[in-house]
Amino acid sequence: MKFKAFFTQDGMNLLDKRFLPALEKMGRFCHVYLTPDHAMFLHGVFPEGGDGPQCVAQFGRDLLFRDYRISSQSDNRIAFTAEVSLLHRALHSALTIHMQSHSDPNAAIQIKLVKKLPVGAQAPSPYLSFETKGPHAAVVQDVPISKPLSRADVLQLQSVLDSAQELPQTLVQVPDLSQLQSLVDRLKNVGDVLAVSITQYGDLHLKVSTSLVTVGSEFQKLRVLGIHVDPPAGYANLSASTRTQMAVQRGEALSVQVSMKHLAKSLQCNLAKPDCTFYGIAPEGACLTVIFQYFIPGTRLTDKAISFYCRLPVLDQGSG
Amino acid sequence: MSASTGGGDDDDDSPDLVCQLDCVQGMVDALSSVRWKRHQDAVIELSEHGIVLIVEESGCLQAKVYLKRELFISYNYSAEGRPRFGLSLGLLVDCLNIFSAPGNTSVIEIQYPGPDMQLLLKSVGSPDSCLYAEIRTRIPDTISWDYHFEQAGNIPLTFTVKSAILKEAIDDLDWPGSSIQIILQPDPPMVTFRGEGHGDLQIEFPYYANTDLLIAFQCDHHISSRYKYKFLRATTSNFPSCVLKENRSSKVTIGRGGMLKIQHLVSVAKPATLNHYADAQPSRIAYIEFFVKPEEGESHSYD
Repeated sequence: MKFKAFFTQDGMNLLDKRFLPALEKMGRFCHVYLTPDHAMFLHGVFPEGGDGPQCVAQFGRDLLFRDYRISSQSDNRIAFTAEVSLLHRALHSALTIHMQSHSDPNAAIQIKLVKKLPVGAQAPSPYLSFETKGPHAAVVQDVPISKPLSRADVLQLQSVLDSAQELPQTLVQVPDLSQLQSLVDRLKNVGDVLAVSITQYGDLHLKVSTSLVTVGSEFQKLRVLGIHVDPPAGYANLSASTRTQMAVQRGEALSVQVSMKHLAKSLQCNLAKPDCTFYGIAPEGACLTVIFQYFIPGTRLTDKAISFYCRLPVLDQGSG
Repeated sequence: MSASTGGGDDDDDSPDLVCQLDCVQGMVDALSSVRWKRHQDAVIELSEHGIVLIVEESGCLQAKVYLKRELFISYNYSAEGRPRFGLSLGLLVDCLNIFSAPGNTSVIEIQYPGPDMQLLLKSVGSPDSCLYAEIRTRIPDTISWDYHFEQAGNIPLTFTVKSAILKEAIDDLDWPGSSIQIILQPDPPMVTFRGEGHGDLQIEFPYYANTDLLIAFQCDHHISSRYKYKFLRATTSNFPSCVLKENRSSKVTIGRGGMLKIQHLVSVAKPATLNHYADAQPSRIAYIEFFVKPEEGESHSYD
């Protein structure tokens, strides 16, 4: 099993300033999954059956790395777990040293899988090693990782990822993720369960209800991807709750309940500074999907080298 | 369950009150100043003059927040009498806080009653988004003790002090771990706070010595009363930051029987509208009153 690559400048910046800070908020550990074409950071995906949010950050290998070399008996795929904060610290530190040698064209941060014998241990342990050549010295940082997943586990991991590819039929774009984050942070004081409804008209309705209070927020006329229909006449004159109920009854909306805590956690992905964020409910209310879109810098074209999404488990099958 | 003691028949379906407010944060600040516990039941009384919120504890501490109708952009009152209902203060503040989140429209509409006697809040002004809340109300358990505060002698026994200084003194008086004695004396004119527990602490505010301390003082005889620390503490523990930033003053009065009345002022205006004439705009101020009963037999008056 071998893995070795050099980071690109874009790759280092993306991970250090955006994605690793966001992933740190999702959980202490994540899976790192390397394939011949992609590098992924996964949270809550494997093993299956967890009750928390899933988060997948997938990068085209050429975006993050150059001179990418990988080989394994699992069809050249390697997966392991690592502590996100350690990964971030190592990369950030390597980047700082690297910045000091920016005038040296041979300077680069290399990352590779190694096995080393820790002090006092009987057997070698695997590490992800970050090697940086500064102007005066080379610095090596070894981040401890888990034993890489077996071939069977890698196949299962890939299968889980493949099964999660189905997109919701209707996605609505949230105009301001920071505003939504601020709203959810305050809704947390009211209740633990949030009803989320998305209509094919482009409405997103969030509602928390307890025995003493109901608080709701509705965003209308959002940009829609997928199935989009016009609302019926007189729709605008109704209350938010009535509008949503009616749309669900007409089969033009889906409604699910999610944990407020999970939603608040997923909103930490705002740290990855996406250009657009879409919410959708998977078919039959299987989960609430959040898709973060990135543009190629300087354009409004989707950067297909980055795929970043969350899937929140539903607490109730909801309606629709 | 909810109540409206406004009387009248219900043929008219219009709500008792529909009003709009353009400074939600100010209302949050005013209501938070009487929130000394996470869960507190409050009674709200509506009238043509405005809204009064009353909270109390143990029959020894009562606080009132007066939100005069002039605070509101619009105030449409159509009830007969004065409807009263109970609700959770904490829930009301938490809901209002949601409306004051950054990015939300700053104008909210308050309506009572809703179809199921709820208190309804909703944001206005934004065509493509809305925020709403429905808070369940209840019949107030009992009529709140309505102590008719009477002055203790021929003239009111009262002093006015900077709110920040009053708060600091009360915070410091936590240290002795005892009930707090408040003494007013005319000669020399002075206010004394005293705590004697594990350690003694005495804080004196002499009049004339420093006009930054006591802004006003009126007392024609010696009076001293003792109050439970936790009730005294509640009167200043949740000052909103605007009270301190705007250098507000608080008025303290000792009435007959040692009943303590502490009055504060809280701005209910957007920061952009605040200037050094803020006090000249009484309509943008919420009035907060605390009443604290003295400990039994601990009020003494000397001519």
